[in-house]
Amino acid sequence: MGDTTPFDEMHNADGSVREPYRALAQWLDEQPDKALTLMQSDAEAIFRKLGITFAVYGSEEGTEKVIPFDVIPRIISAMEWRKLSKGIEQRVRALNAFLYDIYHRQEILKAGRIPEKLILQNSAFCPEMMGLEPARGVYAHIIGTDIVRVGPDEFYVLEDNLRTPSGVSYMLEDREAMMQLAPDLFSRIKVAPVENYPENLRRTLESVAPAGVSGTPNIAVLTPGIYNSAYFEHSFLADQMGAQLCEGPDLFVDGGKVYMRTTTGPERVDVIYRRIDDDYIDPLTFRPDSMLGVPGLFNAYRAGNVTLVNAPGTGIADDKAVYTYVPEIIEFYLGEKALLNNVPTYNCVDEEERNWVLANIADLVVKEVHGSGGYGMMVGPTSTKAQHAEFKRKIEARPDNYIVQPTLALSTCPTYVNAGIAPRHVDLRPYVLMGEEVRITPGGLTRVALKKGSLVVNSSQGGGTKDTWVLED
Amino acid sequence: MRISIRHQLSTTPPAGSPNAVLQLLLTPQSGPTQTVESWSVEMAGIGNAERFTDAYGNSVHLVNQRPPEGELVVTIEGVVTTVDRHGVFGRVGPGPVPALFKRVTPLTKAPVSLYGKFRGSKDSRIDVLHALMARVGEVLHSPAQVQSQSQDGQSQSQSQGGPTAAEGEEVAPELPRPPATDYAHAFIGAARALDIPARYITGYLVGDEDDPAAFHAWAEAYDEALGWVGFDAMLGLCPTDRHVRLAVGLDGLSAQPLRAVPAGDGPKEIGVSVEVVS
Repeated sequence: MGDTTPFDEMHNADGSVREPYRALAQWLDEQPDKALTLMQSDAEAIFRKLGITFAVYGSEEGTEKVIPFDVIPRIISAMEWRKLSKGIEQRVRALNAFLYDIYHRQEILKAGRIPEKLILQNSAFCPEMMGLEPARGVYAHIIGTDIVRVGPDEFYVLEDNLRTPSGVSYMLEDREAMMQLAPDLFSRIKVAPVENYPENLRRTLESVAPAGVSGTPNIAVLTPGIYNSAYFEHSFLADQMGAQLCEGPDLFVDGGKVYMRTTTGPERVDVIYRRIDDDYIDPLTFRPDSMLGVPGLFNAYRAGNVTLVNAPGTGIADDKAVYTYVPEIIEFYLGEKALLNNVPTYNCVDEEERNWVLANIADLVVKEVHGSGGYGMMVGPTSTKAQHAEFKRKIEARPDNYIVQPTLALSTCPTYVNAGIAPRHVDLRPYVLMGEEVRITPGGLTRVALKKGSLVVNSSQGGGTKDTWVLED
Repeated sequence: MRISIRHQLSTTPPAGSPNAVLQLLLTPQSGPTQTVESWSVEMAGIGNAERFTDAYGNSVHLVNQRPPEGELVVTIEGVVTTVDRHGVFGRVGPGPVPALFKRVTPLTKAPVSLYGKFRGSKDSRIDVLHALMARVGEVLHSPAQVQSQSQDGQSQSQSQGGPTAAEGEEVAPELPRPPATDYAHAFIGAARALDIPARYITGYLVGDEDDPAAFHAWAEAYDEALGWVGFDAMLGLCPTDRHVRLAVGLDGLSAQPLRAVPAGDGPKEIGVSVEVVS
């Protein structure tokens, strides 16, 4: 960090090609003129056909868009991946242990390692979860850890995303598209598969069925409905897993158990992969005005008759204010040093730190504590003076509502743009499944900032995606 | 004191509802201040109900009916023996850590005028709490406050839980006192603002000449030495053997005795009798 030249994942400083990219570089050299242009337009057609779209909230067109796809894959060596995935596994195990603890004995608070107030007064802490025993003690079964790379050997975790991370369908469809676009590349380069994700998701969900379920557990995917921006993904995953896609009114609670209405009568449901926010899952326990949830669902969960995936209240573990304590959390529960770095985070409540932040705002990234999706944030170096002034005012008015981090020089990958192949900044969201074991899909979703110099990779802000290849040994 | 309780509540789901789901926090537990001799909760569909313990340690019924038929009446009957421990409930049970009950909820926001003068007090916590109870009683009894306090009466079934103006009262009989819920919320909000854990208690009150028998609400605050101690700001005293403890929560919403979806017009109280028996 601090070095302003971003790390180029394809090239060494002397211009030579880095080892993991050699076969790809050679293939790119062999391609005739216009081949990539053709691939790019074919890709567009494939995605339109697959029907992968997303809704942009607040956009004036307000329509469904195809997320831009870049035809040049991102490549991670087997060795790099082993290191990364070990660090991710450590993190999700520690965060799950943390969740178990804060909803039970709260040893970490008693030990004074995290301020009690930060957890118990936090709106992301769910008091209704206290004392509840989730199957296998797992709270966050599906996690999307956001990672950025800044050097050959230097990775930072930006966010842990333990609520209901989305985007896994893009990871799967990017691979699908890539295999159609460049089948010859896959015969030259051995790439670790990702297409078993839905099968692993199903196995993970089955493994956390409530005790006493005999036979194969019945799984439902609970969606807020077709107006949700990730509805495509909900229906896609249900379809791929062979599970039922349901909306709130399709489910009901009877005698403390959850049933699905079907044409052949009620069918018991054992595990619910819910893509509805905590507040809306059950109007009897949470927001009484929720029309999306199932009345009595939380109580059925509490009584041990159904498993909710992810558990309500996991948001406390990816709260931006709790984030700074993750290295501490890893040490406390696992007795290990964190393998992956946390981005240093400045606390604006502290007057001295705040003054420093205000003086250096042009070099920093400001994020709203409860913001997501690239909304409510400011990247200092790419913002205007007026924006700097606006965020200074915001921080002064509500210092506890913002966290501030240094601007990381996100690594770049070769990307096909109008001018040809050019480096663009990327991040990575690997998908983790935790049930009877931890399963991490090799690679994940690479998001790329298509605008030159931009560091914002969110699809809602003009980002695209790339297929992510983890090389096999 | 041996107390016999009979309490009836009802809720009417809108006509045509395919399914009604009810959550009942209407089962007391034996503890330092009381022994439950007998208790029954009756309503149509109760035989198929799920029972479980919630996050606050309450015993809960989850009852459903499909389709519900008109008004659903819940009848509670039981006998509880109480002892007067001067409000001290103590440190009992596996429930959540006391610090959880410093959490501010929308129903427990207290104005600084209520607690400001206790900030930085050199008195012992228990003395502060007693003074706070008196202050809450004084402020809420005064007519000017009654209106502003009852405006945000968001709780549903709770608001019918407190007694209305005692009959034959000499002073300002035209201004009924706000229900017990408002006193409890004001006390809890003020205690939490002073960094003292405080929780909401529902229960039954044996009537006397000033206050009729009622479904009632008060607060408990945490003292390091004594554990949980009850404060009934409406009556201006720590709970005695006239108080039967029913359920615990962060506020009147989380300890609500009957919650239903669909809610219809909300729960109604049909009647409550709380009588001393020999």
